[in-house]
Amino acid sequence: MDYRVHLAKRMLTNKKGSLIGAVLAVSIGILVIHVNFVIFQGLYDAIVRDLKDYRFGDILVSNDEDYIDKSDIALINWFERNPYVEAATSRLDGSASINATKFGKRTEEFRIPVLGVDPLRDTRASAIHNTVGDGQFVFARNSLVMGSRVARDLGGVEVGDNVRLKFVDRHGEDQLKRFVVTGITSSAGGQGLDGSVIVHIDTLRSILDRTDETGTILVKLNDPTKAVEIKDLFLRSFPSDDFKAETIEESAETQLSGFRSGIALINLIGYFGMMSSAFAIVTIQMMLVSSKTREIGIMRAIGAKRMDILTLFLFQGMIIGAMGAAAGTGLGLVYTFYAKETKMQFEGSLALEVTYNWEKIGQTALTSFGLAVIASIYPAYRATRLLPVEAMRTV
Amino acid sequence: MNKTYGEGETAVHALKDVSFSIKRGELLLIVGSSGSGKSTLLNMIGLLDRPTSGKIFLDGIETTTLNDNEISSFRNSKLGFVFQSANLLSDLTVLENILLPRKIQRTDENAVDDAKKLLRTVGLEKQMNNRANKISGGQAQRAAIARGLINNPTIVLADEPTGNLDSVTAEIIVQLMKSLVKKLGQTFIIVTHDKHQFGDVDRVITIKDGRAFEEEEQRGMEVAAS
Ligand SMILES: Nc1ncnc2c1ncn2[C@@H]1O[C@H](COP(=O)(O)OP(=O)(O)O)[C@@H](O)[C@H]1O
Ligand SMILES: [Mg+2]
Repeated sequence: MDYRVHLAKRMLTNKKGSLIGAVLAVSIGILVIHVNFVIFQGLYDAIVRDLKDYRFGDILVSNDEDYIDKSDIALINWFERNPYVEAATSRLDGSASINATKFGKRTEEFRIPVLGVDPLRDTRASAIHNTVGDGQFVFARNSLVMGSRVARDLGGVEVGDNVRLKFVDRHGEDQLKRFVVTGITSSAGGQGLDGSVIVHIDTLRSILDRTDETGTILVKLNDPTKAVEIKDLFLRSFPSDDFKAETIEESAETQLSGFRSGIALINLIGYFGMMSSAFAIVTIQMMLVSSKTREIGIMRAIGAKRMDILTLFLFQGMIIGAMGAAAGTGLGLVYTFYAKETKMQFEGSLALEVTYNWEKIGQTALTSFGLAVIASIYPAYRATRLLPVEAMRTV
Repeated sequence: MNKTYGEGETAVHALKDVSFSIKRGELLLIVGSSGSGKSTLLNMIGLLDRPTSGKIFLDGIETTTLNDNEISSFRNSKLGFVFQSANLLSDLTVLENILLPRKIQRTDENAVDDAKKLLRTVGLEKQMNNRANKISGGQAQRAAIARGLINNPTIVLADEPTGNLDSVTAEIIVQLMKSLVKKLGQTFIIVTHDKHQFGDVDRVITIKDGRAFEEEEQRGMEVAAS
């Protein structure tokens, strides 16, 4: 082993306090980045997951500015012939005014979004049926699944209650329709349809007098990486239908762009944290250098070159950086493991989508190692400027 | 050669027109009272500091024109140092300290054998794996002597090597150094404030207020203004 590495190691192990301080500085910097990643990226991915599962699928097909008037069965069949497609389902959006009479008291009327679903297909292509906590998903023409927020605003609607919805059909006529509440949906994190009601798509079609029309086709893939490919194939196969097809990334863009800049800011803060650990290392290394002034003088006297002294303290920085990176990454992985196991889901909160991003983990470890070495350059340089006679005088 | 510390009114003229030459294999004592300039002179010869004016030739090389790296190599291969106090690296063992000049030189073959031989010569083979700060002052000074000799230097420089030792230990170090001079044929330049401690030596130069005087029969022969 190079004597400078050996000496750097000895010097550090004989200064345990400084070593622990420096290693802690590096590892805490890394840990902060891991925690940020788990929480904010986990939140982001959880929202993407829920938006995909509940609202947009892997691919969402719509018409550019109107309803889809091609047969939805034909389109669904087209998709389901593709081996990468797990299932597809049609949906129709509308809105209605709603009120309820509860304990003899009529609540104020208000407007809510109404989603028409094909119950059997939707159950395969989407996960919205999983958000039904009470009762069951839409199963009959007059059954209605109510979002928990709507139910609350209506004064506590429960499964089995009757509600009346007032729609405006395509001709501008009011249409009244009575439903039985068969289920209440509630999603942790609120990306579900807690503020809407869900009915049978054919019921909604007939109310609105849009018998053969469809709002969107939601496609679920068994291999999400093929989304762009399948989307492009679809658009090429139906060139003259004014279809619009978007992958989940595109559909969710408006909801997520703000979140992404938030994450960027959080990451920036993480990197500032790393920078401050670098400054801590500068300070600790300066302390180590000045505590070794006499030793540096002796080494210079017996022939060590400036480069040797520089290398010695850079090796010291590398040892600190490597130990800090290892400890920080280890702590970060333990935390990530814990977060993945628990999904950080406490008392019904949103389940985080925790992943191990090995590229980022490696990059973080390397960056902090590099910063520890860079932070050692100035102290190491200072050490090389010590003159042997001057250095040895300070006994 | 001259050495002035500082400038202007606060300048200290530590060495004034000092000039002499030393033969290979000589044991030279530099004596003088405290503050007279002995360490300054030794630091100049040891290339640890540069003279304000004048030249120093070592082994036929004009050292004042060498750059920092060349001076470091020169110190490493041609000079051996023994200082007054605790000049071992406390992070290393005795053996590692003695090997250090070799490691710096990057000529490792036989280094451990050479070091062990030297350790036997100075009587420290039992302590060789002790941490350098876990041995006595006399032992540390013997280790320093061994380290000073490991690269087989042309000149060994010692600045008050017994200054921090009790008289019994000091006597052991003195005898050790004198025996080494006989055995190795290297030039030894030893600074001391007590010349009687060393008894008979080849030459004695006395420093007084920064000026050098040759003693006894050599007087006037080699000390001259330059
Ligand atoms: N780095 C320095 N700066 C200023 N003055 C110094 C320095 N080193 C030594 N001196 C002065 O030079 C003179 C000679 O010092 P030194 O060579 O250490 O004497 P000695 O070793 O004989 O006791 C003293 O007056 C001392 O104060
Ligand atoms: Mg002195």
